[in-house]
Amino acid sequence: MASFKYALRDTFRLICRHWGLSVLTLITAASVLYILGFTALFALNVRHMVSRIEGGLVVQVYMKKGEKPDDVFARVKANPTVTSIRAISPEEALDRLRAKLGNQARAVTLMGENPLPWSLEIQVQRAEHITPLVRDLVVFPSVEEVIYSGKLVERLSTISRASAAVSATILVLAVIISALVIFNTIRIAIYSRKEEIEVMLLIGATKTYISLPFVIQGMFLGAGGALLAVAGLWATYASAVNAVRSTLAFLDIIVNQQVLLQFFLLLFATGATMGWMCSWLAVSRFTSRALRPR
Amino acid sequence: MDIRLAGVTKVFEPDIVALEDIYLSIDKGEFVYLVGTTGSGKTTLLRLISREYLPTRGQITVGDVNLRKIGRGQLPFYRRDVGVVFQDYKLLPNLTVFENVAFVLEAMGIPPRVVQNRANEVIDQVGLWRRRFLKPPQLSGGEQQRVAIARAMANSPSIFLADEPTGNLDLRTSEEIMRLLLSINAAGTTVLVATHDQYLVDAYRQRLVELHNGRLKRDERRGRYFIDGEL
Repeated sequence: MASFKYALRDTFRLICRHWGLSVLTLITAASVLYILGFTALFALNVRHMVSRIEGGLVVQVYMKKGEKPDDVFARVKANPTVTSIRAISPEEALDRLRAKLGNQARAVTLMGENPLPWSLEIQVQRAEHITPLVRDLVVFPSVEEVIYSGKLVERLSTISRASAAVSATILVLAVIISALVIFNTIRIAIYSRKEEIEVMLLIGATKTYISLPFVIQGMFLGAGGALLAVAGLWATYASAVNAVRSTLAFLDIIVNQQVLLQFFLLLFATGATMGWMCSWLAVSRFTSRALRPR
Repeated sequence: MDIRLAGVTKVFEPDIVALEDIYLSIDKGEFVYLVGTTGSGKTTLLRLISREYLPTRGQITVGDVNLRKIGRGQLPFYRRDVGVVFQDYKLLPNLTVFENVAFVLEAMGIPPRVVQNRANEVIDQVGLWRRRFLKPPQLSGGEQQRVAIARAMANSPSIFLADEPTGNLDLRTSEEIMRLLLSINAAGTTVLVATHDQYLVDAYRQRLVELHNGRLKRDERRGRYFIDGEL
């Protein structure tokens, strides 16, 4: 307990004594975490928009005249990528057609018997799930025709895959850069106390005792940087949402407060964890080297 | 604790032989001067005992501990039992005299009240009570040396190693430092002092071990002489 109290006091001393370096680390951490958060938010929004469009894609299956869709319905329902399926009877299809034709609805009755077949309306999770589904459906002898926006589906699949890959790459790069920046700034702080640490090792201080103030400092600076980044991102995102609503209203961006709150909490935790891990790594490398007998 | 060196050789890269085939036995509670010219291996010997260095050949045993076999986890606990006064003091310039002494005790997780009492006690013992809130750059060389001694004796070590504790000090201050070291020894601590101050060695007669070019040249103990390998 006493050791922890000393560690807290030393952390405070560390931050105060090298306050310039501490402020620099805080600003650096805030900047890289802001870029990290911004990239992640952008990627999330791209993913959100793509999935919204994907969610709206409908595959229409028309049965042959006189065929009921029961077996096809059962098969499609068993498919885990399908989010909704609806069977449209010939009567319902006729009602829809009448409603669509408006004044010319009488023309339909001129044909006498209802000419419309049974059909199914299917929605899937992602655009890339449509092509395999269509391949499954066309083999049914009772199916007359399957209609879907083939090219749109292909393009959306490509965009979806590319955006996921680009986002993942940028995120990984941002995490690596953030970690490197924090690691190096903490390492500078350690080197500025090189003599002190060496004396501490010589007089019998344990690695844990020496490391603790640096680890707490790293965590504090990482978390502080993340907090600043979250504040900056919150302000940027709020103004971006207002700008999008007034100029590009058709764009469907994330405005769910709970999702955003979870995202910002995750960013805060990332900052604190990154600060802790980087400082632990930096101080651990230094003390291990210093303890190695010559 | 007693110290045993058996066939200790220390070679630095590329092939600088700092110590060669040293056999030395120091009993618990002894006071030993380590003398020799610059580069004779005095500092290397002290650093081997404080386990800053590992011998290239041979064994060093302190008490029951073979220094070659101490793991990294055990090293801090060994070092807590060995007080070292470094040649360049190694005081922390940003800390006060009190803080310099206290942080040795804090590193062991000792509660603040105990730390305060013990640090004040040793600062008083070395005669720096009035200067306890000053920082090392505000002190004279002799005072800095005394802070280094206070720091080394704070946790009552079993072994006390002092590397040139009177180097660059005037005679009066050197004598004060010597009396301090003798008082530490009088409390039962094994003391090893590396020095080339012939006046002090003659004035305060104790066992004398002389090194020359990394070899043991003389071991003078209670009137018996060991010169160039022969009794």
